[in-house]
Amino acid sequence: MMRMAVKGIGVTGGFGSGVADLTAALKSGVSRMDGITIPSAQGPLQLPAYRAATERLEEFVAKRALRRIDHYSKLGLLGAHLALQDAGMLGTDLSRLGVVIASGYGATATTFAFLDSIIGDGDICASPTHFANSVHNSAAANISIMLGAKGPSLTVSQFDMSVPSALMSARQWFAEGRVDAVLFGAIDELSDLIGYLWQRQRGSESSGIISPLQADQESSVIGEGAAFLLLTRAENAEGYCAIDTVETGSLYQGELPLPSDALLVLGADGRKELGARYRATVPSRSRVACYAPLYGSMPAAAGFDLACAALILQNGAAFPITGAACCDMDGVAAELETERVCAVRLAGANEYSKIQLSRL
Amino acid sequence: MNTKDKLKKILVEDLNLEELSPEEIDDNAPLFGEGLGLDSLDAVELVVLVQKHFGIEIKDMEEGRSAFQSVGALAAYIDGRLAAA
Amino acid sequence: MTHPWPVAITGLGCICAAGTSVDACMDALYSGRRAPAPSLRFTSNHPTRFPVFEVPNFSEPPELLRTSALGLQAAREAIADAGLDPEALRSLRVGVCVGTTVGSAMNNEQFCRDYRAGRDPDLAPIERILRSNPAAAIAREFGLTGPCQTVVNACASGTDAVGLAASWIRGGLCDMVIAGGADELGRITYNGFISLMITDDSPCKPFDKERKGLNLGEGAGMLILESEELRSKRGKKARSFLLGYGSACDAHHLTAPKPDGEGLRYAIAEALSCSDTAAEAIAFVNAHGTGTPDNDRVESRVLASVLPGVPFLSTKGYTGHTLGAAGAIEAVFTVACLERGMIPANAGFATADPDLGGTPVQANTQIEGSVALSESLAFGGNNSVIVLGKRGTA
Repeated sequence: MMRMAVKGIGVTGGFGSGVADLTAALKSGVSRMDGITIPSAQGPLQLPAYRAATERLEEFVAKRALRRIDHYSKLGLLGAHLALQDAGMLGTDLSRLGVVIASGYGATATTFAFLDSIIGDGDICASPTHFANSVHNSAAANISIMLGAKGPSLTVSQFDMSVPSALMSARQWFAEGRVDAVLFGAIDELSDLIGYLWQRQRGSESSGIISPLQADQESSVIGEGAAFLLLTRAENAEGYCAIDTVETGSLYQGELPLPSDALLVLGADGRKELGARYRATVPSRSRVACYAPLYGSMPAAAGFDLACAALILQNGAAFPITGAACCDMDGVAAELETERVCAVRLAGANEYSKIQLSRL
Repeated sequence: MNTKDKLKKILVEDLNLEELSPEEIDDNAPLFGEGLGLDSLDAVELVVLVQKHFGIEIKDMEEGRSAFQSVGALAAYIDGRLAAA
Repeated sequence: MTHPWPVAITGLGCICAAGTSVDACMDALYSGRRAPAPSLRFTSNHPTRFPVFEVPNFSEPPELLRTSALGLQAAREAIADAGLDPEALRSLRVGVCVGTTVGSAMNNEQFCRDYRAGRDPDLAPIERILRSNPAAAIAREFGLTGPCQTVVNACASGTDAVGLAASWIRGGLCDMVIAGGADELGRITYNGFISLMITDDSPCKPFDKERKGLNLGEGAGMLILESEELRSKRGKKARSFLLGYGSACDAHHLTAPKPDGEGLRYAIAEALSCSDTAAEAIAFVNAHGTGTPDNDRVESRVLASVLPGVPFLSTKGYTGHTLGAAGAIEAVFTVACLERGMIPANAGFATADPDLGGTPVQANTQIEGSVALSESLAFGGNNSVIVLGKRGTA
C-alpha cells in the first residue's frame, strides 16, 4: 500500500499565514472575513469573503523577482515556501521535487485582466503577460522556476474535485518511483468574477456565516488561499501524519461506504445543495468535523481540510467548533480523541472522494 | 512629456519595476539582459505597450531588436515612426 | 505498482482539421493534405489574418463547451473502436483523464464585456463552463464510476493525460481509462498567442529554415487504455501498448523552452527506461514541432543528441497546434503510423536550417521497428514523452 507522509504544511487564508496561524484558528474556532468589493450594475458591492495575504512571501523572495507574478501565483509561492520551510527543506537540493497544483477555477483575476486588455484597448493590445499568467499551470511553473524543481509537474482543474483528483495522481508518482518528494498545493483566488457569480447565484440567500451542517439553509461564504503539503513516502518518515488511500469517483446507486472508526472531515461549506448530499450520505451518528468556517467555500478548501486533518492527527484529537466540529450530523458534540481521519468531499450530483489519513 | 520620459514612466508602471523611479532609468542602459534585466516576455509586452501608448505596430522581433537596445533607441525609433506617419 | 508495463490500448478516436475520424485524419496525413485558413467562426481586429486549423462543419450543442463536445465525439469513436457497448461501461470501473487548456478556463468574452459595461450579464455562458469540464462531461455522459481528472499542463496536457491514465491502471485504481485531450479554437486564445508573437501569418513550417511560428488548431484525441485482465477477459486485441512515460520540468521560463533542452532529455531518458527500450529500437519520433523558432531548435538538437539517426516528424503541419489536445491526437497518430508501418511527410518543411539538429522526413516513409515516441514541450517548461508500440512480435 502506497502510504505518503505529510512532512510539511504551508497555508495562507482567512485565518492568516502559516501553521501557527491555522493552529490558533483551529483552537479558537475563529477566523477573519475581510470581505471583497466588486463592481456591479448596482454600484460597488461589499461581499463577505475570506481574504488571503501574501506579504509573508517577501520573507522568502526578493520583491523584484515578484514583479510579474500575479496574486494567484503569489498565493501558491507563499504556500510552497511555507511548506518547504516547515519540512526543513528550504535551501536543499530540490531538483527532483515533483510539483502538483490543484485549482478549482485557476487564475480568474488574471483571466479577466487579459479579457480587460482586449475589451479596453482592442485585440491588438491584448497583454501577453496576462495571457501567459492566465494559463492554468502558471503557478506550478512559477514555483518550479523559483525553486529549481525539475521533477514532473501536474496541474489539475476541475472545480470541487480538483484536490482529491490531483492527490490521487501524486500518489501514483510515488508508487511508480518517479519522485521521492512532492510539493502538493491547492490554490484558489478571489476575483470580481467569483464574487459576482456568488452574489448572483447565492448571495441574497446566504446567511453570511458558514453553518456547514445546516442543510436547509444556504450559508456559503467565498474564500481564497493556498494550502500546501510537502509529501514523502511514509516509510521511516517524520511528519504530521500518513495519507493511506485516495479514492475518487462517481456514485450512481447505493451508499457510499465510510469508515466507522474515523473522524470524518467533511467538505460541507454552507452550499445548500451539497449540504443536502452530505446529510443523505453521512450516517447521522458519525463523528464529523467541518472546518470551512475557518477558510471559506471554495474548491481549494479541500487542501485546507487535509492540512487540518494532519494537525488533528499530530494532536491526537480534533479541534472543536460549536455546531461544526467535532460532532454528529446534528451538531451534538462528540469525543475529540482521533487516531484516523477520512476527508470526504462531495461534488455535483454524483461525484465523491475519500482520503484516509492516520497517525505515522 | 517627451517620448523618452513617457517611455520611462510606462516601463516603471506597466512592467512593474517597482523599486525604480522613471528618473533613475539611464537613457542608454540596455533594456534586456544586463541593465534593466527584462526578458523575452517583457519584450512582447513592450511591443503591446508601444502599440497602446503610441499607436505604432512593431510587426516582428527582428524589427524590434535594434529599437529595444535602450530607452534612448526606442524613443528615437518611435519618434521616427510618428514623424513618417 | 500492482501491474507492470505495458498498458494495452484497445481503441482510438480523433477529430481535428485533418478529419473527423482516425481513418479520415490518417488519409489526409498520407495524402499530404492541409488547409490552414483564417477562421470562419470568429474575427479579430488584427490587421493580419493568421491561418488556423479549424474543424469544419462541427457545431457544439448549446449546453456544452465546444471543447467538451469535441472530446465527446472522439471518446465515442474510441469506445466503438474498442468494441465496447457504452451501456456496459457503467458496470466496469472506468476512469477519465483528459488534458485541456481552454476547456477549464473561466473565460467568456461576452460575459466580461457586459459585466464591465455595468450590466448584469446572462449567467448562461458561465453556467455552461461550470457544467462542461471536459473529463467530467465524458464521465457523466457514460455514467462512469471511476476516477476523473482534467489535466491543465498547457501544451503537454494530452501526453500527460495518457501517461497518468496508465499509472491508474498499473496501480489498480480502475480497469479502463478513456484518456486524451480536447481543445477548441477561439478568439481569446487566438489573440493571446498573437500577443506573444509566436504565430506564423502563413501556413506553419515545423523545422523549416523559414519558420516563423505556430498556427493554432482545435480538436480532440482519445485512447482507451485497459488492464490486461479486462482486455483478455473481453477477448479484445490491443491495437498497441503504452510502454513507458517520462516527464520533467525545465524550471526555466514561463513561455520559452530551456535552450539546452534539459527537461526533454530527462523525460526521454525516463520514458525509455521504464519502457525498457533502447534508443536504437525507436522507429520514429512524433515531435512537438510547433514551428516556433525556439521550440524547433531546442527539440531537434535534443533529438539529434539523444536519438541520432531516428526519423522524426511533426504532424502539426496538418492539425495546427491543438494545445491540450495535441499530445493525445499525436498519440493516436503514432499508433496508427506504427500499424501502417509508415510515417507521413512533415508538412510545411522545405528547406533545412543549419542551426537545427536535423531534418524531418520529407515524404511518406516506411519505418523499421515497432516502437515509437511521442513528445510534447509546454508553456511552463513541462516536457512529456510517451513510448508506444509493441515489444517484439505481438
